[in-house]
Amino acid sequence: MSGKPGYHGRILNIDLSTGKIEKVSVPPEDLDKFVGGQGLGMKILWDRLKKPGIDALSPDNPLMFMPGPFSGLPVPSSSRTCVVTKSPITAPVKSDHSHASTVTYSNMGGFFGPEVRFAGYDGIVITGKARVLSCIVIDDEKVEIRDATKFKGMRTDAFDKAILAELGDRGFKTVYIGPAGENLVPYSSILHTAGRAAGRGGSGCVMGSKNLKAIAVKGSGQPTVADHARFLAALEKARSVLYGSAYAKSWAEQGTARAIVGNSNAGTEAVRNYREGTFPEAGKIGGDAARRDVWVRDIACYCCPLACKKSGMTKGKYGGVVHDGPEYETGVMLGSNLMISDMPGLLKAISTIDDLGLDQISTGNVIGFLMEAYERGMIDRSFLDGIDLKWGSVDATLAMIEKIAAKDGVGALAAEGVRALSWHIGKGSEKFAIHVKGLELAAHNIQANQPMALSYVTASRGACHLSGDNIAMQNRRAMLDSTGMCFFPTFEPALEEPMLALLSAITGREYDKAEFEKTGERIFNLEKMFNYREGFRREDDRLPDRFFEDAFTVGPKKGAVLDRNKFQAMLTQYYKERGWDPETTNPGESKLKELGLHSIV
Amino acid sequence: MDKRGEEIRDPGKGSGFTRREFLIGIGIGGGAVVLLGQFGVHAIDWARSGDPVLKMVLVDYAKCTGCRTCESACSSRNRPAAIGGKELPGLGNPRYANIRVHSFNPDVDVPNVCAMCADTPCVNACPVEPDQKTGRRALYRDPATRTIRNDSGRCIGCGSCARACASQRTGVITPNRETGKPEHMCTLCGGDPQCVKLCPFGALSYVKVRRDRKFYGLGPEKVAAQLARNWYGTADFGGLK
Repeated sequence: MSGKPGYHGRILNIDLSTGKIEKVSVPPEDLDKFVGGQGLGMKILWDRLKKPGIDALSPDNPLMFMPGPFSGLPVPSSSRTCVVTKSPITAPVKSDHSHASTVTYSNMGGFFGPEVRFAGYDGIVITGKARVLSCIVIDDEKVEIRDATKFKGMRTDAFDKAILAELGDRGFKTVYIGPAGENLVPYSSILHTAGRAAGRGGSGCVMGSKNLKAIAVKGSGQPTVADHARFLAALEKARSVLYGSAYAKSWAEQGTARAIVGNSNAGTEAVRNYREGTFPEAGKIGGDAARRDVWVRDIACYCCPLACKKSGMTKGKYGGVVHDGPEYETGVMLGSNLMISDMPGLLKAISTIDDLGLDQISTGNVIGFLMEAYERGMIDRSFLDGIDLKWGSVDATLAMIEKIAAKDGVGALAAEGVRALSWHIGKGSEKFAIHVKGLELAAHNIQANQPMALSYVTASRGACHLSGDNIAMQNRRAMLDSTGMCFFPTFEPALEEPMLALLSAITGREYDKAEFEKTGERIFNLEKMFNYREGFRREDDRLPDRFFEDAFTVGPKKGAVLDRNKFQAMLTQYYKERGWDPETTNPGESKLKELGLHSIV
Repeated sequence: MDKRGEEIRDPGKGSGFTRREFLIGIGIGGGAVVLLGQFGVHAIDWARSGDPVLKMVLVDYAKCTGCRTCESACSSRNRPAAIGGKELPGLGNPRYANIRVHSFNPDVDVPNVCAMCADTPCVNACPVEPDQKTGRRALYRDPATRTIRNDSGRCIGCGSCARACASQRTGVITPNRETGKPEHMCTLCGGDPQCVKLCPFGALSYVKVRRDRKFYGLGPEKVAAQLARNWYGTADFGGLK
């Protein structure tokens, strides 16, 4: 133990090749500079992967489950676990290194991150590859690697129940992959509570490459804080901002699903493979409809007063338990983006994707691409193994989802993502293969939303809608995802002051707004340096042609399209403000010095 | 929300038996049969146990979101920290909470907390000879707070109370991993239960004990099974009870 307040000062290091389990102390200066979560994960990734081009699916690539300094304390909405690793999906246009890819991180709510801290660790770092399918069981100091071969191929909903039955204790919090991750589908997710996921960027594929089915953790401890009395006062303040507020109630009412209708009305929704920004039938799959017909419960993550998650049940042909959704991302990617407006069908697609352990966003994007290629006659029904993949078809969508997870027939190619598909199909399909750096775009469409376009192209993990629309937002988000707090409550400006006070009271380091952003900038720049070392340059910060050529034909933003010159000017301005070389995007020595990264990189 | 609330929430206007009515009820059947069904012969013990004014923390399962803030609020009050010679609320490690949220798949969350049973099957099961002066066994009902407390000096850690609680009521009493002595009996925080105060969703309330409430005294698995059937048409929890 480091004795550093706010932390246990150690991570759990597990090498699945050798079975070696170590509790490794974290240098205190790393905790100061990189905080936890996404930031500390990035630092460890930089330390472990000493050279570019290491295969993301090789045993060397560390897979990390990173809570932050808020985790395990009753700070509102601090339930997040950031999964950090090297991406098995992204690639630069050209590079000297055959397995060049970006960092990737994916952030999930629930109860796992807090439990990791209860067990006495600031993170779990997994390297190597187990001989057979395995799971890791952590009960405070006791850590075991167990055979999990009998769970091979098990879907996540069944596994969520089976693993707890096996352990005989519902107190364990678990994360696991589904068949897609076992089959090394690049955009596989890691699930938690059968309905929460570290979805984006392929962390489930990396977990599969390690022959790791699951991690179960349970603990009885807790970190200390630097200033106990200040912590309690700031905690009370943070609660008073959120409790009973109209803001919190609004999240509980509809969660992110509210935006399914809202963004359609604003012309910023992914519709018909990003061809349009407005979906006339959005009301059928939106929050009001779900509240009326599907949802029975509002569900919250650890100590969260927002409760944005919903569960319910549908009946009929596609009936069943709904662990979550529609949320904005899942509802749009499998709904409007595929022209699906049948609510039970949509929810069946969402739950099947979670059950198989795929990323909802990439899966919806890939199927949208195939639907368009099919409509345009670039591929025929035999290419699709007989699936009549028409816009709006639930059955065809479900069939394609199964094929992708199993890498069966056309699914093997579709599993590689839209970039690989468009290379294979050719015929100009690159224009509507909607990705950045190989990672598919999310549910926010951008012909009428240039700031979101900036987030997609400059994000460290490929097309990410959460990175931030501008530099300050990117820095704040990188920092926030390092603390363990969710970003949904932080849209409430009054939370900022108590949140900063909490972080200061816990860590003993004084964080004001500027220090918070500066730390985020340091983290963002280390990610950038990682990607730069792999060979990513300005030419990789590019969008598909669709966004500059295909103006919307319907909705309030009819006619909207991005302007290439304006977009490039925005990017140039962005690199300059970042202090990066606008030609190459290299941060350069003075920026690194300013951020205290000089000695590291 | 209201739609489903009606189906599962205790309407709050149940028959509200007094002990006297209950004793009559046993004779004539009627509503008391429900109670006998739920508690068996223990209902008779209850009816004979007198009518102290008992209060408890009541859960509205339709409002609970499973966030576990109640656990941290409970732990913070009941497991204070000594900071610079002063006693301050603790950091809310849920391990020490007396209320525990049990989470299931399908998505049901059941906060489980001492039901403050009038007939105290836990105390009745304590094999420690009653103290000659106080009449107390190791486990006893505190006359001031009316909560269940354990005299750890006399407790032999046999686990009888926990077994009685688990088989007859909520199963909230848990033997300590090392000592076997009972833990997690609700203290009511001196009449101001912090879980009730800090639940962000108003799912908890501080009310008089009424044994005719729909889910009164049931263990989390039984509550969850009923809720899951109502909400999702299934009660398959994958074999873990």
